[in-house]
Amino acid sequence: MEFLVVSALNGLIYGLLLFMVAAGLTLVFGMMGIVNFAHASFYMIGAYLAFTISGIAGFWVGLLVAPLIVAVIGMGVERFALRRVYDHGPSQQLLLTFGLAFVCEELIKTFYGNYPVAYLQPHSLDGSAFTVFGASYPAYRFFVGVVAVLMFATLYLLLHGTRIGIIVRAAVQRPAMVSALGHNVSLAFLLVFGVGAWMAGMAGAVGGALLTTSPTIAAQMTILAFVVVVVGGLGSLNGALLASVIIGLLTSFSVGANVSFADFAALFGQRALAEQIGGLLSLRVNTIAGSLPVLLMLLVLLTRPAGLLGERD
Amino acid sequence: MRLLTVVLAVAVLAAAPLFMTSYLLGVLTNGLIAALFALAFNLLAGQAGLLSFGHAAYFSAGGFAVIHLMKAVESGRVSFPTPLLPLVGGLAGLLSGAVAGFFATRRGGAYFSMVTLAMAELLYGLAPSMPSILGGEAGLSSMRMPWLAFDFGSDVQVYYVVLAWATVSTGLLYVYNQTLLGRLTVGLRESERRLSFLGYDTHLLKIVVFAISAMFSGVAGGLLVFSMESINYSTLGLGTSASVILNTFIGGSSVFLGPAIGAVFVTFFGSLASDVTRNWLLYQGLIFALIMMFWGDGLVAKAADVARDAAAGRTTGLVRAIRMLPAGVCVGFGVVLGVELLSGMLNRDYRAAVERSGAWPPITVFWRPWHPAAILTWAAPLVAVVFGVLLARLATQRRKHMEPPRVLGSETP
Repeated sequence: MEFLVVSALNGLIYGLLLFMVAAGLTLVFGMMGIVNFAHASFYMIGAYLAFTISGIAGFWVGLLVAPLIVAVIGMGVERFALRRVYDHGPSQQLLLTFGLAFVCEELIKTFYGNYPVAYLQPHSLDGSAFTVFGASYPAYRFFVGVVAVLMFATLYLLLHGTRIGIIVRAAVQRPAMVSALGHNVSLAFLLVFGVGAWMAGMAGAVGGALLTTSPTIAAQMTILAFVVVVVGGLGSLNGALLASVIIGLLTSFSVGANVSFADFAALFGQRALAEQIGGLLSLRVNTIAGSLPVLLMLLVLLTRPAGLLGERD
Repeated sequence: MRLLTVVLAVAVLAAAPLFMTSYLLGVLTNGLIAALFALAFNLLAGQAGLLSFGHAAYFSAGGFAVIHLMKAVESGRVSFPTPLLPLVGGLAGLLSGAVAGFFATRRGGAYFSMVTLAMAELLYGLAPSMPSILGGEAGLSSMRMPWLAFDFGSDVQVYYVVLAWATVSTGLLYVYNQTLLGRLTVGLRESERRLSFLGYDTHLLKIVVFAISAMFSGVAGGLLVFSMESINYSTLGLGTSASVILNTFIGGSSVFLGPAIGAVFVTFFGSLASDVTRNWLLYQGLIFALIMMFWGDGLVAKAADVARDAAAGRTTGLVRAIRMLPAGVCVGFGVVLGVELLSGMLNRDYRAAVERSGAWPPITVFWRPWHPAAILTWAAPLVAVVFGVLLARLATQRRKHMEPPRVLGSETP
């Protein structure tokens, strides 16, 4: 029971963290049809900037300032790099953002070195938040969950409660029509890009202290964010939320599951056979936990290519 | 004329061992392998318009197939002619490409890119759990066995085998382009819907193109293992897929030999630059991003355009390029100086030296020591970049004034 509840909480919080990264990716795709390869780089930049700023001015200042800087960087990328290639077709956009992601990773390696940095949670959140079934739950983990929920609430209010939110939601459906109605779609896009980068930067600032902060984190996050948006349906925000939580839970439960396919075969009395075949069949689930999201994505693509909540094919 | 150029180029490459040092020959060997890989990748990315982000998988499939065969030959269990080893790499690439292609080509556009990336990462993630096949952390290594009168012990012999495979493969890829299948491949990029209206099974066609691209990638991977005699599962990583993308599009995907020239250029430049600076990959990425922003066609296509225009007497392209040159030099100088200074100061050894002595020693960039406390040190890169951007602005603005708008029919007297 304790394992179940703690794993579920961990998975939920990890999923919400993923959502903070994937939300911007899926919104940008929905609006402009661009898959931004460099989006997870905003997560990485957020984590490293928060690490630097927290070393100078304390954790909380870093948490506030780093995502704002990332938002400015994101808007700069949109305004000065991406806007040049909108007319050149999807592969050019994909290649440019890929190049930018490459540059980001190398920049981080150049300035911070090719190894993880010690970005740690603040001492005020070292304790436990509450206890479930006798196990204390770490306060910082809980805090990450709270930040993610606040982020989601902010995004929801922005999209559903403001005028620009209506334009953004309309532009996700019919960008050309919204533009024809006289709304400034390119400004809305700039803002969406900024907000998406801000959320990814915030995810980096809080998640960097929870996970490791290393130059390879952007590539890992890119894969996970892609999995989230494909599973959820490209362009669908609700789908991204659903898929994030599913992948978070999948990851946290599989990390704790010390079973293999051979154990499954044992149910049918075939353990010896499965272990004899070896290879993939005798792999423990927790050793391939990192690969399960990708398997899920391939499964979804084969059975429901538009994603769980996606409409567009 | 074109045939003559090709014969001349092959002749120069064949004569390379006569005038190249052993080190440069090694770089050229790697360059040729990267060139073949880029051409194979471009068959899919450039010709068919399917941008794969996971070609590391098929490159590695060839590599691992060859290392296992080499180990088997080394242990004496089987015998196989050593120079034909890459053939097995191609076969492994073909098979893995056919399977992966079946899944990946179900969706086009960005989905295709994400699925190919995910499949390669899946393999990369599983690799540590499969040490018997993929060698685990230590990797696999073997030795080239002698065959007939050749012992393949010298760089020159390895180079000639690689050159032969690269030349033959390039020739085959060129011939492929001229066949119906090659034209259909381009058709996939231009209008898949039209092809399916004409009665072609486009999914099958995409699988075939994918598999052929993977096959030549496998040959390239096999050649790498043939020359290195070892392989590690890190070859499966995103780095391999990224480098082939960068090579291909820096050269340019719209000209047949663009990717190959790009790959050789980047390999040579990289081996020179990585001796001088540890930030070479950063510059490579910046060059790539700039090319994507300003000349989407790549360097080779751009150069070919300018050369063709100049030969026909239209020199505007050439003049423009010459006018932009000082701006490029200024910005490049400023950026490189700034990055090198900052990375020099943030370097672990440098920081340790500062803590030990308390003083900030000067950093040498561009053969000149720069003192971190001097204003000039930080003003120089800044001024260079600003000046360069101003020069570029000036060059583009003046062009607008000087060129009168072209009116249709104004050429006739």
